[in-house]
Amino acid sequence: MEQRDLPWIMKNSAGTQIERRDEPYFDAALRDELEADLMPKYPNRRAATLPVLHAVQNKVGYLPYQAIEEIAAFLETTPAEVLDTASFYDQYMTEPQGKYTLWVCHSLSCELMGQPDLLGRIQKKLGVGPGETTDDGKFTLRTAECLGSCGTAPCALVNDVLHETIDTDTFLRSLDDLN
Amino acid sequence: MLETPVLCKRIPTWPWGDPADRAYVDYDAFVDTGGYVALKQALDMEPKQVIDAVKSSELRGRGGAGFPAGLKWSFLPPEDGQRRYLAVNADESEPGTFKDRLLLDFDPHQMLEGIAITMHACRLDTTYIYIRGEYHAQAKATQRAIEEAYANGIFGKNSKLGKINDRWPECVLHRGAGAYICGEETGLLESLEGKRGWPRVKPPFPAVAGAFGRPTVINNVETLAMVPPIIEHGAEWFKSMGKGRPDGAPPSVPASFGPKLYGVSGHVNRPDVFEDDLGIPMSTLINEHCAGMRNGKAYKAAIPGGISMGVLGPDEMDAELDFDIGKKHNCLGLGTAGVIVMDEDTDMVMVARNIARFFAHESCGQCTPCREGTGWMYKILLRIEQGGGTTKDLDLLLELAGSMGAMPGTTICGLADGANWAVRTILNKFWDEFASRVSVDRSVSLPVVGAGH
Repeated sequence: MEQRDLPWIMKNSAGTQIERRDEPYFDAALRDELEADLMPKYPNRRAATLPVLHAVQNKVGYLPYQAIEEIAAFLETTPAEVLDTASFYDQYMTEPQGKYTLWVCHSLSCELMGQPDLLGRIQKKLGVGPGETTDDGKFTLRTAECLGSCGTAPCALVNDVLHETIDTDTFLRSLDDLN
Repeated sequence: MLETPVLCKRIPTWPWGDPADRAYVDYDAFVDTGGYVALKQALDMEPKQVIDAVKSSELRGRGGAGFPAGLKWSFLPPEDGQRRYLAVNADESEPGTFKDRLLLDFDPHQMLEGIAITMHACRLDTTYIYIRGEYHAQAKATQRAIEEAYANGIFGKNSKLGKINDRWPECVLHRGAGAYICGEETGLLESLEGKRGWPRVKPPFPAVAGAFGRPTVINNVETLAMVPPIIEHGAEWFKSMGKGRPDGAPPSVPASFGPKLYGVSGHVNRPDVFEDDLGIPMSTLINEHCAGMRNGKAYKAAIPGGISMGVLGPDEMDAELDFDIGKKHNCLGLGTAGVIVMDEDTDMVMVARNIARFFAHESCGQCTPCREGTGWMYKILLRIEQGGGTTKDLDLLLELAGSMGAMPGTTICGLADGANWAVRTILNKFWDEFASRVSVDRSVSLPVVGAGH
């Protein structure tokens, strides 16, 4: 349906084309592995939503809508339920991300210990703000609420590696060393 | 001062060891240093005796609320042969709190032993350890410890615990995905069931209908790690540490017995996790444990236990850190004892704005007063910080803070209470600082004649 037929609808979700590919994101090998190792740990299938989302995101890099549908089929629930869960949590991404995601903690202990300077200089170096990805697709910059490293503030996660007691110069140099 | 470390027995911590020497304690090293002795003792006892032992120790939950652990266990209904769960709250997400991380990183078997004892005592067949998504290294260490425990007959088929509810006991690590609200116990259960972490309306309480609609016990990592020493050395030993109830108080008033992990961060020389008696003065923690304020600056303010607890002002440095701190010093409570120390140069408006932003971001959106209120609180504080605030804003902040939360009775869980206590206490204790940052509102508002529907 053309948008002009329904002028009061601001976001034309009904007409959105979902990108699809023939090859599944959530492939048979991963399905079999999760079915054997993960599913017996839970009393119902839906309870495995978080670990399955983690597994698929680790493999694909983010959660495209087609993957959400495949996960829903696997968990015997609806895509809406899976998307509801996936969109609630900060760590699940429904858009493509950079190769490295920098999570800079900006909670109180980190802000007291110099996080604004750190974040400012990372932004200047990468040329992107929080929530954005660099043009070469290498880095996505994000702010995080407390990474549990308050005694060793300021801190940041680079993918799943935690950097503590960050010295801004050293940290910026270490970004250059990442491939 | 605590003579020997309890939870930090195998984790080098000031004054008993050098934090640089910290290393993962595996199953063999744990057993060699007296580990899993308490489990053996507990298995020789009737489940009810174990619950009674913990009850008589008056162990209070270390996760923030300070609810008596033994009492919580005794709320479980009688067994009906069906499944019963233990959910371990390792979703340590409150800014300033990093004490459970120490246990998960280096000595997770303490927690696993506590889990095994609790499963035996409360007849729980499956444990889910809900660990926050940002704890990558901690999840690895905990997973490793769980596998070691399975290999050594703590959990799984032919476990030492025997069959519980006609099943072999299981212990599963469940990773979260970045949501503070999942540390609220029913939010945690919703998340465990694969849904968004929206807290549930209580009652029914989790002990009656928790995970998957079945009876569930939810305890914090540190609370569970405290159970084995209590079983091994007895309630009297535990009560010889910490601080008893105030003079003349009846036994129904909960006391603050036992040791506690204090995580100190902010402007101090040696920020870290320390173990000491409950009830030590904060000045001792800052001056001795943390080797004083950084750069010789003067103390200005501190948050006693995670940012939701409110703030202690310049004249409250000697506040005793026990579960009674809330009443004595006009803050919400001890919380997790994650102390954030601020020096004389700290801008309290910035502190309030940072805290308000945290709660605005982490409000789950279920209850309107919290979803909207935390957001507006942040916007107002941002405006004051940037110099655009007026005196009206200060009153508006106090009005907002007083009307959202489980205590005013407008929300399901306590997230908004955390936000409003933090903002309210900072505003009240540093009123002059806020007043000097706002201009007097000179606009005149006239009543609108004939307004309304």
